[in-house]
Parts: sequence; structure tokens; C-alpha cells
Amino acid sequence: MTIRRMLGLRLSVWYAAVFVIGTIAIAGLTYALLASSLAQRDHDIIFATLREYASRYELGGLPALQRSVELEERTGDRERLFVRVLGPGADAVFTRTPPGWSAYAQEDLDAAGTAADPAHDTRAVLEVASARLSDGTILQVGKSNEIRLALLRKFQWIVGLVSIIALVAGVTGGLVLTRSTVQPIYDLIHVVQGIISTGRTDTRVPDRSAGGDAVDELSALFNTMLDRINRLLAAMGESLDNVAHDLRTPIARLRGIAERALQAGGPAEQKEALETCLEESDRILSMLNTLMDISEAETGVVRLNRENVAVPALLAEVVELYEDVADAKGVNVALEPGDDVTVNAERDRLRQVFANLLDNAIKYTPAGGKVRLSVRRADATAVVSIADTGAGIAPEHLPRIWERLYRADASRSSRGLGLGLSLVKAYVQAHGGTVEAVSEPGVGSTFTVRLPLG
Amino acid sequence: MLLVEDDATIAEFVEKGLREGGFAVDVAADGAAGLQRALGGRYDAAIVDLMLPQLDGLALIDTLRSRGVRTPVLILSARRSVDDRVRGLQAGGDDYLTKPFAFAELLARVQALIRRATGAAEPNRLTVADLSLDLLTRKVHRGQTAIELRPREFALLEYLMRNAGRVVSKTSILSHVWGYNFDPNTNVVDVLVSRLRDRIDRPFAVKLLQTVRGVGYVLREPS
Repeated sequence: MTIRRMLGLRLSVWYAAVFVIGTIAIAGLTYALLASSLAQRDHDIIFATLREYASRYELGGLPALQRSVELEERTGDRERLFVRVLGPGADAVFTRTPPGWSAYAQEDLDAAGTAADPAHDTRAVLEVASARLSDGTILQVGKSNEIRLALLRKFQWIVGLVSIIALVAGVTGGLVLTRSTVQPIYDLIHVVQGIISTGRTDTRVPDRSAGGDAVDELSALFNTMLDRINRLLAAMGESLDNVAHDLRTPIARLRGIAERALQAGGPAEQKEALETCLEESDRILSMLNTLMDISEAETGVVRLNRENVAVPALLAEVVELYEDVADAKGVNVALEPGDDVTVNAERDRLRQVFANLLDNAIKYTPAGGKVRLSVRRADATAVVSIADTGAGIAPEHLPRIWERLYRADASRSSRGLGLGLSLVKAYVQAHGGTVEAVSEPGVGSTFTVRLPLG
Repeated sequence: MLLVEDDATIAEFVEKGLREGGFAVDVAADGAAGLQRALGGRYDAAIVDLMLPQLDGLALIDTLRSRGVRTPVLILSARRSVDDRVRGLQAGGDDYLTKPFAFAELLARVQALIRRATGAAEPNRLTVADLSLDLLTRKVHRGQTAIELRPREFALLEYLMRNAGRVVSKTSILSHVWGYNFDPNTNVVDVLVSRLRDRIDRPFAVKLLQTVRGVGYVLREPS
């Protein structure tokens, strides 16, 4: 809360300050430009008039000048200026003043050539320029700056008004802007605080994706991250439940064996029971390990130690591992020559994938049957097929063979945990690949693994 | 032999087994006590659990090594990930065994550690009863009869003969004969053992390769 307030206040004060200072600077600059250009214009008028009157005087003497000034006064062609002609003795031979101004003695002019009139606004002055003519007379032309001052005063008012508007707009804009900027951050803080204090990860930052700026994107990303965490948590919780559930059956069996041995009593029976217990506990351990491996791979927490693996060589290793088993069972296993494909994968896990598939194939193929392994490259994938001539899988079982502990053979006569294919699927998917099975009962099954190349 | 293990039941069963195997055993129940003893006495080997009260196993091994104690160490741990294994071996452990384990496996590993540490001379001929295996010529004889073995069968027999009289588990056979650290979920080992049995035992009266149910296999002269 305090964080937001402080941040918000700071942001809006900065915004308003920058806005107001900027506005005033622009207005001030405009004022200065206007003032100087108006003064320049007045000076231009004074000098132009001075030059014109001087040439009239030179041509027609004082009467010509007088006529011309009076004519202009009557026609109102020109704004009334201050005109004075000083004779050689510095006495005024001709004087015209703008309305409201009285004549000035030459001495009243200050060095800058301006004269102030106490009767007028203290800031109003008469700006006067002089020229010495050829016969020694001095011609003076002056202009009051009253109009200019009035104009500038009006402008000052406008600048003041604009500044006030700018201040109000700046503060308001700052507040609005701050609110829209800080609010999403505050929402984020609020949600994070809620999650930390309650531990519930189901709250979400309000969706502002319409805005599309960095803060909105952050909120959206944060929500996505929360979703991901939730999914992971759910998956882990679920796999923990599964493990607990899957372990109950073998542990119950273990307990039953021990209990029966205690009641039976004979040393031979007890020895037998102990041996069974050992085997059973090994099976539980193996199951637990496999379940953890599957869960790890499924939730994506597993880190794969990837390296370049030549698929045909790996298949050859796996075939070699099962050579004796297949031989003992009378199943012919053959690795067909295929493409030389290399994938980037974790060698051990990939080997286990193929070992489990081959293991299954041999297990479900009767004596005299065949298992064919092949590898080829298709588009950007390595395709490994393991085809057997076994009993096949009935269509109603086919979709469920990837489930944990699912076994089509309800009697559980074949050895195995029913986890092999789940592990295969989890590992293949962890590598970004797919695995599928097609089967025709009585003809055989084909398992196909597709792994991305590179 | 030093055993550092905080679980009383496991400590007792390992201690008993080791004594029966002919070792004198000291037991420490926490890391600090274990370190004291390891620094104080001269042990042929130490078995160290990783999760220990007061001082964990990795820190213990690290301290031992930094003080120049070269006693071979077998790490026992309930954690089985490759990373944990690597960390344990990097800290200065010599071998790594995951709980739960077969005692026979533990014993075999400890003996191997001691053998390696004392630099026992590598024999070039292994014998059990009238069965002999020449490591140089790779020839196997039962009495005067020469026996032909395929490479995997030879590797299995060599492993069993090196551990003659000790029970070896299927898992350790799989990792020693094939170099695999996973459970192939099948009877790969059983099949190889039965093939080997066909070669070295079936034609003869005395059966040397015996199955110990629930534990593994052992090569020994029947008493």
C-alpha cells in the first residue's frame, strides 16, 4: 500500500512538474519573441517615417513637411506619430504629438531616445529617433509604445491562464497516468502477497492484456507462470497418490506372506516365506523406482543428460542384451539394416525405452515367432519400429496399454509390473517424441517411436 | 571398519553382517562422532550414510579428504539420482550404494574397496574347486575338460569367480556384465546364468553355481 502511494505520488509530482515547466517555458519563449518582434516593428516604422519626412523636408522645406503630416492626419493613413523639427537654435519650429502626449523639450529625451510621460502608464514611453538634416535642422520622429504594451499585457494574461490550466492538467494527467501505470504493479504485489501469506496459488492478476504494454505483459506472464506451477503441483500430487496406491497391493502381499509363515511355523516354510519376502521387496523397490522415473519424466522435472546417440548402434546393444532371452524362448529377433540416424537424447533412457519395447515384444511372442526392429529417417524424425508376430492386443485394450499398471492379461500370468509401457511413453515424451502402437489380434503388434532429429 | 549410520536397525544389521564377514566394526550414530573416529583411528574402510545428524555424510568425507585421510569410503544413501551419485563421488567417496541394498552386495563392494586400496596383486588365474579361468588366455577348464564360453558367459563367470563364495545380486551382475544401471524388467540375467550353468555345471557331478533365492547367485563348492 505504502509502496504504491509513494511511487504514485512521486510519479505524479514528477509528471506535473515536467508538464508545467515545459508549458511555462514555451509560453515565456513565445512572449519574448513576440515582444522583441513588436519592438522591432515599431522601430522600423519610426525609421521609415523619419527617412520619408527627411526627404520631404529636403525637397520642399518645412511647409512641404507640414502639409504632408497634416494630410496624413486628416486621411488617417498613418498612426499618429510624434514629429518635431528643431531649428538651428534648438527651438522647436514644428511639433506634432500623438493624442494624449505633450511635447517634450529636447533635453527630456534620455540617452536611449525615449521619454516617459508621468501622466501615462509609467511603463509607456515615447520612443524617438532624430536625424540632422543638411541645413542644420534636426528632425525627430517618435512613437508611443502604448499599443505594444497593451498587446503584451493581454498576452501575459493568456500566459498566466495557460499556466494555471497546465498546472491543473499536469496534476490530473499525472494522477491518471500514475494510476494506470502503478495499478497493475500494485495488483501484482497484492496477488503475490496473497499467495505468500495464504499459500493458495489459484488467485490471478486481473487481465489487462488489451493494453499490451510491458507491465500488462508482466502480469500475463505471471499468470502463465502460476498456471504452470499449479499444473506441476497437481501432477506431483497426483503421482504421489498413484505411488501410494500402487504400493499398497504388493505391501499387502508381503505382509500376508510373513503372517502366514509365522502361523505355519515349520523352518522350511519360514525359509521359503523369507525368500519370497525378499523377492517381493525387490519387486516393490523396482516398482517404486520405475514409478518415480515415470513421474519425474511426466512432470518435466527430469533433466536429460543429452548427447548424440546413434540409433542403430543403440538398437544393436539392446538386441544383444535380449539375444539369450529370445534364443531361450525360440523367438527370432532381427535388426533390419536401416538409415544411419543420430538423435540428441539421453543414452540410458533411450536404451531403456527400446529395451522395454523389445522385452514386451519377446514376452508376448510365442516360440517360432519373429521380432523385427527397424530404423529410418522420415522428415525431421527418427522412426524406430519394433514389430512382432505375437498374439496382438485386442482393440478394447489398445488405448489403455499406456496406463500405469494396466495389463490386458487380467490373470497376471506373465511376469512384469505393467509399468514398462508407461515408462516408455513418459521417456519418449520427455524427449519430445511420440510412441504409438498398432495391433491386429492373432497377427502381431507394431510399436513405433518417433524422435525429433538434431 | 567404520560404520557411520544413524538408523539403529540398519546399523545393527550391517554391523552384525560385517562381523560375521570377519571385520572388526566401530559404529558411529552421527556425523560428528563419525568424523572423530575416522580422524582418530586407522580403518581399512568406512561406510558412511549421507543423511546424518550434526554433520552430513558429504561434509564428513570432504573433511576427511582435506585432512589427508585416505581411508576408502563407501557411501550409503537413499537418494538414487545420478546427480547425487556424482556429488558423492566428487566429494571423495570411493563407491556408492543405494538403500535398500542386499547385504551381500554391500560386503562385496567393501571387500573390493579394500582390495583396491591395498593394491592386491591382480591374479591371472581364478579357481574355484576344479573350475579354473585363465584371465590372459581366456580359457576355462573344469578339471581337464576345456569349456567354450561366449564373451558374455565368460564375463559373468569371471565376475562370479572374483566374488567366489559371495552372493552377487542380479543388479550387480547386470551392471558388471553389461554395464547397465537399469532394471530391464525381465529375466535377462536368469537366462545368461542358466546358459552358463549348462556349460560349467550340467555335464559334471558337483554343481558350483547356486541360486540363493531372493538374493542372487553364488559360485562355491557345496559343503
